[in-house]
Amino acid sequence: MTDYFEVHHRDGAARIGELRLSDPLRTPALADDVVADAGSLWTADRDLPEGDEATLTVLPHRGLPGGTPEEVQEAFAPDYPDVDYPSAAVVSADTAADYGADAYVLSAGQNYVGHAAAFVEAVVQTREAIPADTALFLPGVATPANVATLVYAGVDLVDADRAVVKGTQGTYLTVDGEQSLADLDELPCACPACQQPIAEFDRDDCVEHNVNALDAALRTVRGRIRNGRLRDYVEGQARHEQWLTATFRRLDQQYAYLEQRTPLLREAELTAATEDTLKRVEIQRFAQRVTERYVNRFDNPLVLVPCSARKPYSESKSHGQYHDAIQFRGHTVSMTSPIGVVPQELELTYPAQHYDSVVTGEWSANEIEFVSTVLTRYLERNEYPRIVAHVPEDYRPICERVEDELGLDFEYTVEDHPTTTDSLANLASTLQEEPKYEKRERQHNTIRAVADYQFGDGAGDALFDDLTTQGRYPQLRAHDGDGTQLAQLVRQYGTLSFTLAGARRWLDSDVPTKRVEIDGFVPHGSVLAPGVVDADDDIRVGDEVVIEGPKAFAVGRAEMSGPEMAESTRGVASQVRHVEEI
Amino acid sequence: MSKPSPEVYEQGKGMDAHNKVMREIRGRKDATYDPTEPTRVWIDEDNTPDGVYQSLTIILNTGGCRWARAGGCTMCGYVAESVEGGSVSHDDLMTQVEACLDHEAENADEESGLVKIYTSGSFLDEREVPAETRRAIAETFGDRDRIVVESLPDFVSEAKVREFTEQGLETDVAVGLETATDRVRHDCVNKYFDFADFEDACTEAVAGGGGVKAYLLMKPAFLSESEAIADMKSSVRRCAAVEGCHTVSMNPTNVQKFTMVEQLYWSDGYRPPWLWSVAKVLEDTADEDVIVVSDPVGHGSARGAHNCGECDDRVQRAIKDFDLRQDPSVFEQVSCECERTWKTVVERETSYSMPLAR
Repeated sequence: MTDYFEVHHRDGAARIGELRLSDPLRTPALADDVVADAGSLWTADRDLPEGDEATLTVLPHRGLPGGTPEEVQEAFAPDYPDVDYPSAAVVSADTAADYGADAYVLSAGQNYVGHAAAFVEAVVQTREAIPADTALFLPGVATPANVATLVYAGVDLVDADRAVVKGTQGTYLTVDGEQSLADLDELPCACPACQQPIAEFDRDDCVEHNVNALDAALRTVRGRIRNGRLRDYVEGQARHEQWLTATFRRLDQQYAYLEQRTPLLREAELTAATEDTLKRVEIQRFAQRVTERYVNRFDNPLVLVPCSARKPYSESKSHGQYHDAIQFRGHTVSMTSPIGVVPQELELTYPAQHYDSVVTGEWSANEIEFVSTVLTRYLERNEYPRIVAHVPEDYRPICERVEDELGLDFEYTVEDHPTTTDSLANLASTLQEEPKYEKRERQHNTIRAVADYQFGDGAGDALFDDLTTQGRYPQLRAHDGDGTQLAQLVRQYGTLSFTLAGARRWLDSDVPTKRVEIDGFVPHGSVLAPGVVDADDDIRVGDEVVIEGPKAFAVGRAEMSGPEMAESTRGVASQVRHVEEI
Repeated sequence: MSKPSPEVYEQGKGMDAHNKVMREIRGRKDATYDPTEPTRVWIDEDNTPDGVYQSLTIILNTGGCRWARAGGCTMCGYVAESVEGGSVSHDDLMTQVEACLDHEAENADEESGLVKIYTSGSFLDEREVPAETRRAIAETFGDRDRIVVESLPDFVSEAKVREFTEQGLETDVAVGLETATDRVRHDCVNKYFDFADFEDACTEAVAGGGGVKAYLLMKPAFLSESEAIADMKSSVRRCAAVEGCHTVSMNPTNVQKFTMVEQLYWSDGYRPPWLWSVAKVLEDTADEDVIVVSDPVGHGSARGAHNCGECDDRVQRAIKDFDLRQDPSVFEQVSCECERTWKTVVERETSYSMPLAR
């Protein structure tokens, strides 16, 4: 039972939380001023600490430094008392479990600094073992340079110990690393401690600066989490220290850990400025769903086109020109790094209209590999009568690789550049004999494609067999044959949101549902975690969920993952869009 | 004795775990030793209740510590220096003593007034050193002024001590107490006796006409820097209060091979104490009615007590100076920028977040 910690925002494994002390502390944060150590059981038996509402009391503990053998950890494991004030239990990655505390102190941090593999293993193991709505405190290791990565991995609380110790040693810390005071020509900082000539800057000043720099780094991190953009920051900032880069890369290899914590959608832009972006959950998830869930429902030829900087693609000038040349005679699929391929029906769907990448006209080997693999898998699942590749020269190696792989022949229509008059004329004439599809077909296919993407293979047909649409793209509404509205296409995220009728249809179908079971109450606006009886494991933040209880039937959008809903005792589990009393 | 043998205490859960781990760690080494050679022998200078003496220190190879065979202390690698398997015969032990006398003759101008005999176990344990050998050694050194013999408290008896005092020797039993805090001795060091046993051993030694020199261990595994300092200060004071315990040798833990401490050390979970901490304890307990000395082995190295690397030799010299003079003002004459770091560590380090500095 967590009484004194609540998670307010999530961004991957990172969270904005609140340590609910008499003077609340927003996390991730420095815990120095709020932590009270009730003492080590290695040196003495301890009385139950009195504790109070203003401090996080570290319960009497056995510290487990790096290298403590597992047998010793087990044999000396303390019994943590159940207390009614804010408390923290000391654990190692091996002993981490639910001890009823509000926060967990991870011992042996010194063993993890500089060791990406050990750090990732320890944090993932600990985070998975302690309840989601408890804070993870990693003392003794934070610096301005590493704190963003620590938080990105799932740490909520840190302290200034390392920054202070480094200051006493004359080591000047910044977000891009550390330097000996003796090697500095000038003070590269505007904090109060640094407002003096470098000749007068002593080690006490260095301590003060280091703590200021750590505090500022934490502010940056909190802002990034709130804006859903921590990963974009870490991909750049972590590069200043090799072990930090190794850490977020190794976390990418812990796909299940990150995937469970990564939202289905965001409002924020996704910056694709490094090769590591290809490994992001959002990118991998999109590629997986496009190649495993989506099916093409058009009978027309495939037209492969390059992506555009402006999103959604259809609003760009170049795609407007392609559209004028294609004239509803082809199914447009955009090729792009780092997304892979984007069928026209999914151009709104996160992150297809949210990413921005660096365009140089040159592709790296990894980008070529990624996009050609996705296109190959896409074409293995979707057959077309003809494949027209209206792409510039730098896309050719990808197309040719896929042609070779699948034994297909693409028709190339670009001379020089895709938007030249000649190229566009080529494209138009290549397709001129093909039949046109109708607007209604396009609208139906869009709703069904988004349903496939969002709910699973075959969902578009299973949920919308008697589909009629209303409204004008992208403001599309899905109705059944009798005119009852089932869902709406959300322009901002390219997802469907159900009405109650749509939710019922979802439940009645064979499509896997995402259910949240609640107690006997009627939720309004939102469902709080304590009201959740159970939730499906595969629910992710941003997922459409059906909420059912003895007194209510509702539909809404998840604010937590399913496992987090099930084990949390605080926080908003799901927003509620429509509700009906039973 | 409340805990007469290692086998009894071994039943404890924590002790089981420590012993299992230490047996496994010790099992990784495969060195064996010649039973006719002493483990080590050297000439030094020592402060005693009767003043400073030239000393002959002997580490006899006796087949090793019985406790270490069960697993043993978390910081002790000396079992490596013992004979594999069984015990060493009387003749072999006497051959070792001869070798030590030869060493002294070659390396010192005169005979040492003080002889110190250690075994990495218990010299007074008759399974290690037969009574016959013990008596022969007492006789061999009967012409010296003082003798120190190492033993666990269990094996100290009035009669055994008297064998030495009867030779006219001022006799001290060196007891590896490690700390006066039973909980730390049990849980962190994995040593099986209680402080009460140490007090009993002091009573026996006094009855036999001798005294006791207590050996303390500064900063065993699992203690933070400040906890280690507090543990040593209280231990020195409690030892000083025991009749017969006239000298305390307080020694910082060093990282020995094939020990649990070494395993922690390799995983960034252990740092030997700062020399500043050693100095702090000596300085703060200087008013106690007991001689306190310290010999930081491997000072200045990563495996031994150390400061920043700049001041280690200076602080070590002050400590050695204190050993001989017992004057706390020697520490006023050393200072270094790293004291600021040390103070920060003492103030901030906890056993769940250490070491804060290397």
